Amino acid sequence: MTVVIDIKHLNKTFGNHEVLKDVNFQVRKGEVVTLIGASGSGKSTLLRCINLLETPTGGEIIFNGENILTEGYNKEKYRTHLGMVFQQFNLFNNLDVLGNCIVGQVKVLKRSKEEAINNAMKYLTIVGMDRYKNARPRQLSGGQKQRVAIARALAMDPDVMLFDEPTSALDPEMVGEVLKVMRDLAKAGNTMLIVTHEMEFAKEVSDRVVFMDKGVIVEEGPPEQVLVNPIHERTKEFLRRTLNK
Amino acid sequence: MSFLETVWNIFQNNWDLFLRGAWIALILAILGTIFGAIIGFFIGVMHTIPLQKKSFKTYALKTINFILTCYVELFRGTPMMVQAMVVFYGLYAIDIQLNRFVAGLIVISLNTGAYMAEYVRGGIVSIDKGQYEASEAIGMNHFQTMFYIILPQVARNILPATGNQLVMNIKDSSVLSVISVVELFFTTNSVAGSTYRYAEAFLIACVLYFIMTFTVTRILLWFEKKMDGPDSYRVELVTGNKPIKDGE
Ligand SMILES: Nc1ncnc2c1ncn2[C@@H]1O[C@H](COP(=O)(O)OP(=O)(O)OP(=O)(O)O)[C@@H](O)[C@H]1O
Ligand SMILES: [Mg+2]
Repeated sequence: MTVVIDIKHLNKTFGNHEVLKDVNFQVRKGEVVTLIGASGSGKSTLLRCINLLETPTGGEIIFNGENILTEGYNKEKYRTHLGMVFQQFNLFNNLDVLGNCIVGQVKVLKRSKEEAINNAMKYLTIVGMDRYKNARPRQLSGGQKQRVAIARALAMDPDVMLFDEPTSALDPEMVGEVLKVMRDLAKAGNTMLIVTHEMEFAKEVSDRVVFMDKGVIVEEGPPEQVLVNPIHERTKEFLRRTLNK
Repeated sequence: MSFLETVWNIFQNNWDLFLRGAWIALILAILGTIFGAIIGFFIGVMHTIPLQKKSFKTYALKTINFILTCYVELFRGTPMMVQAMVVFYGLYAIDIQLNRFVAGLIVISLNTGAYMAEYVRGGIVSIDKGQYEASEAIGMNHFQTMFYIILPQVARNILPATGNQLVMNIKDSSVLSVISVVELFFTTNSVAGSTYRYAEAFLIACVLYFIMTFTVTRILLWFEKKMDGPDSYRVELVTGNKPIKDGE
């Protein structure tokens, strides 16, 4: 299958702190990849490097065959191809639910308002938030906010969806509703790269699991391997600690 | 005649002067606050443009920002009365004869702009970083992020400070009488001078200033509420056409 994101020898240092060390991996079209690893292992940094919220200090990121780290590459246009979902939702507080889902379509993709609204409503329906289109972010629960954030990202019709611990800031009773939406998206064939601590969920939806430790990819493979019968000692150790909690 | 009767008499005989003065004061304050806000937003945005690595653009921006900072410090650090004298007579000395009202408006705008710049800058940095990132993540550039996401929130957040500035401007427009702008203090002074009734005339001015500031304050409070929108929203039923109410 076609490779959408191809990461080669990626490095990222903050000052003298090397957070990503020679990271290599690929995301193919239609694939669901989950990224797991201990806190501080560099998962968020990797995701943020992919959509250039952080500037990598070395290596290449090839997107649909083009190196996005070449000078003068249109960063804004590239980002419209990636949908990002944050741990803290980050909804636009000055806009209502519908406004959150159309602002990018109208201002960045230059779609007509009518087209943008139709598209937004389509995705708001998918995440089950269509009835709340006039609500303000402050009037929503965490789970509702996150579902709107997912719809906002989907409304740009991105090639890949990136999720950075989308359920970590939620109360336990709201985790389910968000995971359900993500499960549906995975089944519908969306290309997704997900950082998560939800091991059961990872096992269920992933085509491939990537385990990171201290800025390097230690092991990657199908969930039955990485999450059930890992090869590497560090993966085993991580799973022991996580599952015993 | 009692004191209050005299007051009323003076007002009756000179109401046109008082009202014209009040009107000029109000217009100066409102326009000054609007122009000041524009200046403040401009400076606030300039000061928060992310700097890329060394390039010509970076140096140009740094130079402009340095000049803008000098302006802010100068106008915040000197009395408006003195600024009015320097601007009006300074320009006069180099053969630029400004209309006194225009000179007054420039001074009050520049003064307000210096304060507003700080409010705006503070407002911009106080919006959580997550919203900038979310905005960038959907492909907006810095200016789109500013105009569609950040500045509307800043405008709402600094509305109380702006209202405060407007009230200050209504009162402080009186200092522009030093360059003979015909505002309320100036007209009151001339009425007082011609009638020899200082206490009575300035009591009238006092009442007029208070009516203006009090009214403006109420209008702003109402406006703030309106900007926040309703506390509840409607949940649309997917099937029926009767929306049900669902509060917070
Ligand atoms: N802006 C930054 N400046 C300096 N160091 C940073 C910055 N962002 C991240 N780091 C460091 O990089 C390392 C990796 O951070 P990162 O957030 O990528 O980890 P993570 O795997 O996402 O962890 P978590 O599971 O807690 O979210 C950490 O040691 C962190 O302190
Ligand atoms: Mg993280």
